[in-house]
Amino acid sequence: MVVFSFFIFDRHCECIYLRQWLDATTPSPAQPLSRPVTASSAATNTTSAVEKPPAGNKLSMAEQAKLVFGVIFSLRNMVKKLCGPDDSFLCYRTGQYKLHYYETITSLRFVMLTDIRTENLKSSLHQIYVNLYVEYVVKNPLSPVEHPGGEGVNNEMFELGIDSFVRTIP
Amino acid sequence: MSSTSRARLGEEVWKTRTDKINAELVTLTYGSVVAQLCKDLDGDYAEVNKQLDKMGYNIGLRLIEDFLAKSNMQQKCANFRDTADVISKVGFKMFLNITPTIANWSSDSKQFSLMFDENPLADFVELPDDGKAQAELWYSNMLCGVIRGALEMVQMQVDAHFVNDVLRGHDTTEMRISLVRYIDDEMPADDE
Repeated sequence: MVVFSFFIFDRHCECIYLRQWLDATTPSPAQPLSRPVTASSAATNTTSAVEKPPAGNKLSMAEQAKLVFGVIFSLRNMVKKLCGPDDSFLCYRTGQYKLHYYETITSLRFVMLTDIRTENLKSSLHQIYVNLYVEYVVKNPLSPVEHPGGEGVNNEMFELGIDSFVRTIP
Repeated sequence: MSSTSRARLGEEVWKTRTDKINAELVTLTYGSVVAQLCKDLDGDYAEVNKQLDKMGYNIGLRLIEDFLAKSNMQQKCANFRDTADVISKVGFKMFLNITPTIANWSSDSKQFSLMFDENPLADFVELPDDGKAQAELWYSNMLCGVIRGALEMVQMQVDAHFVNDVLRGHDTTEMRISLVRYIDDEMPADDE
C-alpha cells in the first residue's frame, strides 16, 4: 500500500497537521493538473479524476490541505443532508487515489490519501486518533489545546508514531 | 445504547482501560490545589470558585478526547437525557469510579441535577471555620468546569454549578447542569 499524505483538521476547520510521504520505491505518477480546481468545483466532482493527483504536483501542501478540506466538508454535509445526521462518508476514490475519512465526535477530522488498492482505513484512522493523537498530543500537558497552523502538533513522538503506523497498514 | 449497557460500558472501561492511582493521592493533591488557591486569593472564595472552574474547563477540553478514545463512542447522544446518562454512568465511572444519580429533570429536559452520594475529592475535608467558607466556597467546583469544557468540545454549551454540598452542611451534594444551546458546526473561513 502507498500512503501519499495525511491531514488532521480541527473543529475550527483549520489544518492542524499535515504530512506527505515520498515513497522512492513506488513513485506515484507525476501528472500535471488538467485544469485548476477550486474547492467548490472539486466538491461537486468528487467521482471524477479531475482533482489534483496526490503527489508530484505543483500545489503547495497548504493549498492541498485547503482543497482537501473543501471536499470533505462539502461531502460530509451532503451525506448528512441525504441520509440524516448519523451517516458519514468513509472514503471516495478517483482514477488515481483514494481518500479516507474519519471524524470524531469532537469534530476532529482525519484524512488519508492512499493508492486505490487500499482497503477502507476508517479503523486505522480511528487507531491513529486513539493511540497516537490522544496519547501524544492531547495528553501532552505542554501542548496547547488549540493548534493554529499545526504548531502544537509538532511533536516528535506523534511524528514517529505516525511514521511507523503507516508502515504497518497492510 | 440503553442505560444498562452504558453502565456495563462504564464498568468495563474502569476495569480494563483506566490506569488507577491511589485515591488518597488524588484527594490530597486536589486539596492542596484548593488550599493554595484560598491562600493566594486571600480567602476570596468567589474567586477561588472561579479559578477552580477555569482549571476544570481546561481539563475538560482534553479529557473529552481521552473519554472518547477509551469508551470508543462514535455516535453523538440523541438527546440531552442520553448525555446525562453517559456523563454519570460512563464519564464519572471511568475517571472517578463513582456514578452520581441523575435527578430533578426540568420539564423541558434541558436541566438536571447530579447527586453525588460519594465524592472522592472531598474525603477528609472540613471547610475552614472563618464564617465565610461555609457560605461561599464550592469545594469541588473543578468538576463543574470539567463538565462544561468537555461538553463544549462535543458542541453543547452548558452551565454547571453546585447548589448543595454536604461540606456546607446540606443533606446532599448536588450539581445543577443546564443546556444553554447546541453549538453549530464551524464553517471554514471564506478566503476567496
